[in-house]
Amino acid sequence: MKKLAGPLPLLALMFFASALFAHHGNSAYDETARVPIQGTVTEFIWVNPHSQIYLDVKDSSGKVVNWGVETNSPGILGRAGWTRRSLKAGDKITIIVCPAKNGQPVAYAGSGDPGTKVVFADGRELDFTDKSTK
Amino acid sequence: MRIHSLIAPATLALILLMSPGASGQDSSKSASAQEKTAAPRRDLSGVWGMLPSRELSPDDKQSPGGEIPPMTAWAKARYDLQKPGYGKRAAPGGNDPILQCDPMGFPRILYFPTPFEFMQVPGRVLQMFERDHVVREIWTDGRALPDDPDPLWYGYSVGKWVDDTTFVVESTGYDDRTWLGAAGFPHSELMRLEERWQRVDRDTIHFTLKIDDPMAYTKPWIALARDFKLRPRAEIRQGYCVASEEQAFTKRIREPGAMNTGAAPKK
Repeated sequence: MKKLAGPLPLLALMFFASALFAHHGNSAYDETARVPIQGTVTEFIWVNPHSQIYLDVKDSSGKVVNWGVETNSPGILGRAGWTRRSLKAGDKITIIVCPAKNGQPVAYAGSGDPGTKVVFADGRELDFTDKSTK
Repeated sequence: MRIHSLIAPATLALILLMSPGASGQDSSKSASAQEKTAAPRRDLSGVWGMLPSRELSPDDKQSPGGEIPPMTAWAKARYDLQKPGYGKRAAPGGNDPILQCDPMGFPRILYFPTPFEFMQVPGRVLQMFERDHVVREIWTDGRALPDDPDPLWYGYSVGKWVDDTTFVVESTGYDDRTWLGAAGFPHSELMRLEERWQRVDRDTIHFTLKIDDPMAYTKPWIALARDFKLRPRAEIRQGYCVASEEQAFTKRIREPGAMNTGAAPKK
């Protein structure tokens, strides 16, 4: 019924692209990098303020390593269209992440770093863009 | 001469407005556009999200921003002890109170990147934040600020409308354990804040903040002016920070990610 003025959704998107970066801003991750990691979800922890995705990833030598991926709060994820059931153990996914600078198997994927997202085996995607601004 | 040249176009515009053609679709369109954007009178109700004003510096993370005034010796000593988990001084083993879910405090919570909601009830304006589901009470019943307030995480606040769209809040009584942002800038219990919330149109609040804390800063800190946008489809969720969950996160992700970065390796 009430449509918002034209520039608002764009401004709101810009807000979520940049303001959320301000929270995350943790120097542990390489925020200039976008790296795909592929594996099988072992846990999806839906908590404040940092939800977490854990997945088993086979490295180049065939060894399985459990990765931990930091993501947003349920509030932010909820406004991006996620629910607590969006991921479950056993799901085969690829996550585009900002990896830890120190080479540990931890990473960030969330609204703070546009371009990070989850891609399912069937091609379906879950990103971190706010969907509640219009 | 000049007056005459102004009158002519104004008259023409008036004639056009009053002509039958102008009363059709076009004028109703512009009237409804005006209705959409006009600020309601003395009303801040709604869910609001902050827009950035410029590229923020590392010192501005969850912070008022703007030019940070020189710290007093008291504040500098505190600042040196504060080990941020974020920003340019970030290092493993930080002591930012929020890393263990201690209250973020005001004004820092305002700069946390989740929306808040204003609610107006008789005698108070309530500001409900998603982070920790905090409700900040701003008294509007005409009372004065207390002379010797107990230090509180979210202070003691009184507000009044100075015109139909501008709500001014004064506050004091802040617990000095909270930080003015993730970079670890301190404040004292003497800190007084003056906020101006100006609803410039239906969808926008222009916000300014003055931080006056002579114990910590040699002059008032004028925060970066910010705009908040109405978020009609957003709802405030119960974003409690739970210490046990945060500790588990720190152990499983934050600490492995921080190892051997910033601080000296521990091997």
